[in-house]
Formats: sequence, C-alpha cells, structure tokens
Amino acid sequence: MGKLTLLSGNKAVAYGVKLSRVQVVSAYPITPQTPIVEYIAEFVAKGELKAEYVHPEGEHSAIGAALAAALGGARSFTATCSQGFGYGFEVIAQAPAYRAPFVMAVANRTLGWYWALASDYSDTMTARDLGWIQYYVEGCQECLDAVIQLYRIAEDERVLLPAMMCLDGFHISHSSEPVNIPDQAEVDEFLPPRKVYDHTTDPDSKGYVFPVLPAPLHTPYRRMFEEILHRAKDVIKEVTKEFEERFGRKYGLIEEYRVEGADHLLITMGSMSTAAKRAVDKARSDGIKVGLIRVAFYRPFPVEEIRKVIEREGVASVGVVDRAVAHGTRMGPLGLDVLSVLYNLNGKVPVTNFIAGMGGDDVSVNDFMGMIDRLTKSSCPSGGCVRTVYIEHKPPKKAGLVEFKNTVYAPGCQLCAGCGATLVTRHVLRVIGKRSVLVFPPNCVSASIAMHFPSNWMGVPCVLANYAATGAYSRGLVRAYRVRGKKDVKVVAFAGDGCAADIGLQSLSSAAECGEPVLWITYDNEAYMNTGIQRSGTTPAKAWTTTTPVGTVWRGKREFPKDLISIMIAHRVPYIATASPAFLKDMEVKLRKAMEVVERGEGLAYVHIHSPCPTGWRFPESKTVEVARKAVLTGAWPLLEVDHGVFRLTVKPSKLLPLKEYVRLQGRFAHLSDGDVGEIQQVIEANWRRLLELHGKKLF
Amino acid sequence: MSDELPEIPLIRVDTLRSEPTASWRVLKPVIDLEKCRKCWLCVDFCPDGVISKSEEGPVIDYRFCKGCGVCANECPVKAISMVREV
Repeated sequence: MGKLTLLSGNKAVAYGVKLSRVQVVSAYPITPQTPIVEYIAEFVAKGELKAEYVHPEGEHSAIGAALAAALGGARSFTATCSQGFGYGFEVIAQAPAYRAPFVMAVANRTLGWYWALASDYSDTMTARDLGWIQYYVEGCQECLDAVIQLYRIAEDERVLLPAMMCLDGFHISHSSEPVNIPDQAEVDEFLPPRKVYDHTTDPDSKGYVFPVLPAPLHTPYRRMFEEILHRAKDVIKEVTKEFEERFGRKYGLIEEYRVEGADHLLITMGSMSTAAKRAVDKARSDGIKVGLIRVAFYRPFPVEEIRKVIEREGVASVGVVDRAVAHGTRMGPLGLDVLSVLYNLNGKVPVTNFIAGMGGDDVSVNDFMGMIDRLTKSSCPSGGCVRTVYIEHKPPKKAGLVEFKNTVYAPGCQLCAGCGATLVTRHVLRVIGKRSVLVFPPNCVSASIAMHFPSNWMGVPCVLANYAATGAYSRGLVRAYRVRGKKDVKVVAFAGDGCAADIGLQSLSSAAECGEPVLWITYDNEAYMNTGIQRSGTTPAKAWTTTTPVGTVWRGKREFPKDLISIMIAHRVPYIATASPAFLKDMEVKLRKAMEVVERGEGLAYVHIHSPCPTGWRFPESKTVEVARKAVLTGAWPLLEVDHGVFRLTVKPSKLLPLKEYVRLQGRFAHLSDGDVGEIQQVIEANWRRLLELHGKKLF
Repeated sequence: MSDELPEIPLIRVDTLRSEPTASWRVLKPVIDLEKCRKCWLCVDFCPDGVISKSEEGPVIDYRFCKGCGVCANECPVKAISMVREV
C-alpha cells in the first residue's frame, strides 16, 4: 500500500534507488543532482540500504565506476548532470556497448556554454543518439516510480541497455510533492534481483564484452542497436502496464492529455508539461480544442505513438515545445524529431517549434496560453509550414548598485557572511594586483562571480575553466601572454580543494611537472562547499559531510586527507607553501615569493590556503579567523614552505595546543568522542614531529 | 528583445558594481572608539573588507557589512559589540 510523504524529486529518486535494492552507488556532487547521492549516503550510513558507496574524484570516474559495477554483475546507480554529464561523456558514449544495464539519474541542467544552475536539456540531449534509454519525468512521484521501472526495463534480456532518468533540475529536483512510497515487499515482487548474464564480466561467466569491433561490423551492430532500442518499446509497454496493475499509476512511452478531437496539439517534455496542461484546461474551457502529448520516453522515440494521435484526432496544427536548441538547424531536437514523425502523414500539418525555458527560465501557464493562441492563429495555406518561436522574458534588473572604479576588489560578493574564502580571496587580490588573470574552476568563489553578473567584485579578468582542466586553461593563458610579449601578466589559478585534490589533480600535476609558470592557489575548505558540503580528498578524517554522514554504520569520513603538499614536493616545483587567513602577514610573504618564482619563469608556484567555512564546518560565522588560528596552533594546519626544495616551518608554536580546542569549535566533529579526538591528535603530533625534523632541510 | 542585448556579454574590468548586502544583517557591529586602540585587526580580518582606517578609528561601510561578527570576535580590546538590528 505504501505511505504518502512529501518528497522532493531528488529524495524520490533516492527512495527509488533504495527500494530497487541498488548494490553499488557511485557518487560525485553536482548541483542540482547532489541531494540524490546525499540522501542515498544517509540511507547507507543508517544501515537502511546495504550498498557499496564509491566516492570517486570526478564524473568521468563516477559514471565509469557505476558502469563497471554493472559489468561486474551488480545493480548499480549513479547521478549527474550538466558539466558533470559533459565530463563523463566518454563513459556515457561507451556504456551501451557493454550491454550492462544500470540507471543514471540526471537532474537536468544547462550544459555550459554559458553556465546556469537550472534546467534545460542541453546536457542530456547531447546523448540522445548514443543508444541509451532516456526517460524524462514530469513530477516527483514519477521520479520514484521511474527508477524502479527503469531497472526492470534495462535489465530485461531483450534490452540490456543503460537507462537515463531525466528530472528537471530545481523544477523537479528541488520541488516537493506528496509521493507514495511503495512497500519494499511490493517492489521486490515487481523487481527481481539483478541477474547475472552470460556476458557479465566475471571469470565464472561464459565470456565478456570487450567494446571494440572491426570496422565492417560497426554498421551491422549500429543496425542491431536500433532494433534493440525499438524492441525495448515492447518491454516498456509491458513493464509500465504491469506497474500500473500493481501500483495503480499509469505510465507509458507517451502521455496523452485531453487529445480527444484536438485541432491543436502541444508536444512537451518534463516538468513544463504541468503548466502546459493547465493552459490546455483553460483553453478547453474557452472552447479551444487543444490537447497535449507529453513525451516520457524520448529514446526510443515514440514515432508511431505520436503519429497515431495526430492521425486519429485529425490534428490541424502542432506546437512542439523544446527545452533545448539544435544550433544550426533553427529548431530544437524534439521539434526535429516530431518533423520526422510528420513526414509520412498524408495531410501536411504545420509545426511551430517553441524554444522555451532555456537555462532554467520558467515557462508559465501564460506562456503556454500564448503558444496555444499562436497555434490557433497560424495559417498555412500551402501546408507543411515550419516556424520557430523563442519564448523570451526580460531578466530582473538589479537595483541600487554601487560603483567602484579602478580597484582590484569591491565589497558586495554573494558569499556567506563570515566566509573564509572571501577573506582569502580579498587578500590574494590585494597582493597579486591588477596585472593578473584569475583562472577559476567551479567553486564558491567563481559561483559568486556568476551571481554578480553583469559585473564582478574582482577587478581583474576572470576565466571559468572546466573543473578538470584548470591547470590546462592556466597554461594556455601563460603561453598566449608569452607570445604576445606580456611578460608582466600573472596567471593565477584559484581552485578549491575538490579541484586541486580530486577532479583537477591530473591537470595540476601536468602543469607542475611541465614547469608552467602559474601561481596555483588552493583555497581549502575541506569539502565540496559550492555543492553543499560533500566529502573531498582533503576532508579531515572522521569529519561529517553530507556524503560521509554519521549514522549507525558510518561515523563520518573514514580516511585521512590527501597530502597535496607532499604531492607537490614530489613534483619538485620551485615554491610550495601552506597559508592561513589568521596569519595574514605570513600569507602575504608567501604569495609574494610565489609571484616572484612565476615572474622569473621558474615553474609553478603552489600556495595552499586554509579556508574555514562556517556553513560547512558548522561553527558560528564570527569564529572564522579564530578557527583558522586554532588550526595552526593545534598543528592541524601547519604553516610551512618549501622554497626551492628547502623545507621550513614558518610559524612554529613552541607547544601545540590540545586538538580539542580546534575540533570542539566545529559541528562537523560534534559526534567525536574524546577518544576519537585523541586518536586524531596522535596522528597530528606524529606529523608535527616529522615536520620539525624536516625544518631547514633540503628536500630536493 | 534580443536586439537590446550585446552579442558578447562583456564584464568590465575598470568599473565594478555591487548590490548592497546590508539586508543580510541580523547583528550590526558597533565600534566603541574610546576603547579602540587602532590595531586595525578588524580592517585586516573583515572577510568582506568593509572596514577602513580613519584618523578617529575604523569606519564600517554598513552598505556592505553582512554582520558576521568576525571583527567583534577578533578585537583584542572588545571595542566592537554586535547589536541586534532586526
């Protein structure tokens, strides 16, 4: 019977995963998908879901691990969107070939291009032709139901393909609706455990798929894949029918809404369909015969199903609403697909392709009323007209802006009150000055630049690098200024710990090893804060984060943080230092040394700055500097430098303060017993003794 | 409507414009200039850099002060108190 609860789309997906008894979850944070993997982490931490939980260093790996878990015979799940989707694209493209079923949820978000946080389909549409099943849901209940049904469909031996469950970012992911959570027993009856196939990669299987084929086999296999995807339609019909019988909720390839006798037909996808349906209701009550088709399964594309409705109802005009643009065709992808549906019809139905809701712009009932109005007025005497109409809105204007001239820094950034990163950035800007270019991967600071549009709070040019390519963007700029003779321009990479320690490490490593004169600053707030406090490679041991929650099974992060300073020492870069915003003079001296190294073209200079985060570390916002200071004085954040190989502690307390003076200020460590703190203190003290021994020594 | 927008959405380097953040504040830092010893730690440690030096002592730009209270926490002579504003 289940129980009715208010759930966001993301939480409904997490419940779908739990009820599907997923065995391996591979999770990397990205807005607006992150809550899905956070809720799943909570289930695992509390022992409510017995699943392996993988914390990879980026989406390429997150999707890779989920795919590989499916290859290895486990029921696996991952979730992503937008830039992460783009970064994982290589894995996404390869996944169908393995014929290893798994489900990937995508909380749709613009794929930058210009970045935005909210929903359009520019991310998943890039994968529409790769052989995945693609399902676009309309609401939260459907999120939960779709996950369960997609495992049934994907794992059916007539299908064996990966399935993408697309939910509109924010419009669905962060909106709540009453959702019926079915009983586990009911779901177990519907969804049997994951089967092991003859080609499951395992020494006990008959064989395995190695996804390479000789050229002459590619065309026949492409043909076969097309047949498999279309065969999947039968499976989809069977599975959705059985689901309806068991759970009383009806789904299918398409959803028909008030299409009886429709003169005009809207074709939509996703969350905007709800507003479109309200517009249809209004228009119907005004006597306008308009109906709607919502395309639920976009791949395989429901050609026959759409055509049948148009023919059956004698539709005179079709309006296709796209939340994506196929640039260079003057249309959206759904519009193009519908055109191909209409090609074989006897009568030529005029099509208006509306492009709406890009970047997460709202598409309102009024917008749909306007679209319906256009459909009723569109005349096309010769038949077969195709038009494209963009539904545009004026952006809200910012009021009361204060102007600052010729400065490197202006107040008014949108970062949290008491933000350590703001303090760090402000002083970094002061030291590096106007002749600099900042290279940002996505992080809180670059997000605050985005929020400052059409201005910025930094008076230097800023570049938004793709997460994993921050080192590479920096190198390209260095080379451009070199060929243009602009030797005084400094390229400063400004990365968070997620970039430096995880997703961007290989590009940083490459820039360091190649001796690229880049000033690389890592501001380390010890988790992915921009996406909302997820574990990173530098998160301290035992710390609570949303992906290392505290429950009966998990007690925060299990591992010790990655030591980036040692990694940089291994690269023998000419200048390496840690810094703290509580020791500003020390920080300034180090930044100046680093700049000199870069100016002399000696190689990469690496400055790693502690950046306490009141929001993520759970301490009062007035304590930012105090927390930073205690980190240094307890030995949790030693201040050191390695100047051309010579190691030196730059702040050397004669005796370390007890660690609890640092740890007990912060809610992220609230679950630790005194014994736990003592355990960490031992590691810190051992490290401190090691550093004291190194003091003054030449390391390379 | 798209005619009004520049083809290249340029962000100017020479002029910065910011929306005031005063409305974020719950507590407002108030400096007691009699107690202040002009050590300027508040100027250095204000995350948002809204405190500047003057002959009389530190001056807070309340248009942009977010009310975090780092200045009051760091003041060695407790010359800054946080006063409830809303």
